[in-house]
Amino acid sequence: MKIENEDELDNFIICRQCFTLNEEIPIKDGSKALCSECGGVLYRYDSKLIDHSLSLSITGLIFFVLANMFPLLQIDILGSEQFITIPKTIVSLFENGFYIVGFVCVFLIFIFPLMIFLINILLFTLLKMERGEKLTKELLILLSHITPWSMADIFFISILVALVKLIAFGQIHIGISFWALMIFVLIDIYITKSIHLSEIWMLRKRILLNKDKQ
Amino acid sequence: MIEIDEDKLIRCPVCDAVNIDKGKKNACRRCGSAIYQHRKFSTEKSWAYLITAIIAYIPANLYPMLVTSAFGTKDESTILGGVVLLWELESYPVAAIIFFASIMIPVMKFLILIYLLISVKYPLGKDKKVSKHKLYYMTEVIGPWSMIDVFVVAILAALIHLSSVEILAGTAATAFAISVFFTLLAAHAFDETLIKENR
Repeated sequence: MKIENEDELDNFIICRQCFTLNEEIPIKDGSKALCSECGGVLYRYDSKLIDHSLSLSITGLIFFVLANMFPLLQIDILGSEQFITIPKTIVSLFENGFYIVGFVCVFLIFIFPLMIFLINILLFTLLKMERGEKLTKELLILLSHITPWSMADIFFISILVALVKLIAFGQIHIGISFWALMIFVLIDIYITKSIHLSEIWMLRKRILLNKDKQ
Repeated sequence: MIEIDEDKLIRCPVCDAVNIDKGKKNACRRCGSAIYQHRKFSTEKSWAYLITAIIAYIPANLYPMLVTSAFGTKDESTILGGVVLLWELESYPVAAIIFFASIMIPVMKFLILIYLLISVKYPLGKDKKVSKHKLYYMTEVIGPWSMIDVFVVAILAALIHLSSVEILAGTAATAFAISVFFTLLAAHAFDETLIKENR
């Protein structure tokens, strides 16, 4: 294989599932490119990626705040009502002396999901304004380190499992926070799983090239 | 004009950019991150994390995960005990989820990582139909799901908090969280470019 210089490697992409080298081709708006070997999604093209991601990130952040403010589950047990919120769940781990589990949970279900959304908002705002060349790079690197450690979706499934276990104890009421968390998780899955980081890198490159031309 | 071998192209684990493998020191041309620098200790880091995880997995299965005390009687259940109890209570889907998340996934991850770590050093499974890259990708995707049990215990312990009926997390919760944490680290530390099957 012959190439002019290293930058030309940007026209290629290695499949994250099977490590096959694929050539990157321009595709229609809203469609996705699949790996020639295994059929896994390589990248999508969305001409309004910035606007879509920015609005979804802000919506997600609002629902994250809602999910943390209101009660998640309430149980009537032996005549007394008990409820939990997400922060209370984590705090009670610390109170019972489970510092390691509490520490892990704080990061996995609170700090990292929150950071992903804050970073996304900042990142796409900067890209929209076509500024902060260095900062966007740092943010993208940070994002790729955090994303595998964000487990809001797994926490949500855990709530469903906990619900089944709780039936034996008493009457359960589902709080506002549960529904807010559900919407947050759906947005979180779309933002972290469906938008590949390489698409944002490609977008950043296009923006920088356009800026240089002007 | 540079002439390069297609086999020499590697993917940056941080930003997915295609890079040329230059041997010892690889810095990604797009994001500047180091791409698996320590060639001499290519698998040792991953091994170390993996062994830690396996050691932590033993107390996670022996000690109680959940301690239920109701009206003076204490009832301790381990991970496997919890699954059996749920199965007897006829909540099969939940029993299956917990079984998959806390037993199947960690054990599968250990075995797959051991297989991958051995196979990149010694000629093993050269003619296998299953792609090693696919296996690795799978461990990365399913790995975090084993945290389910820890989260469930956290929710139950926070919610049921009365003087007469109380649920407490057990020692196994800590051990299990540590085990999952280190398996995730082991998977991240694994150098995917060492897999040389399609090349």
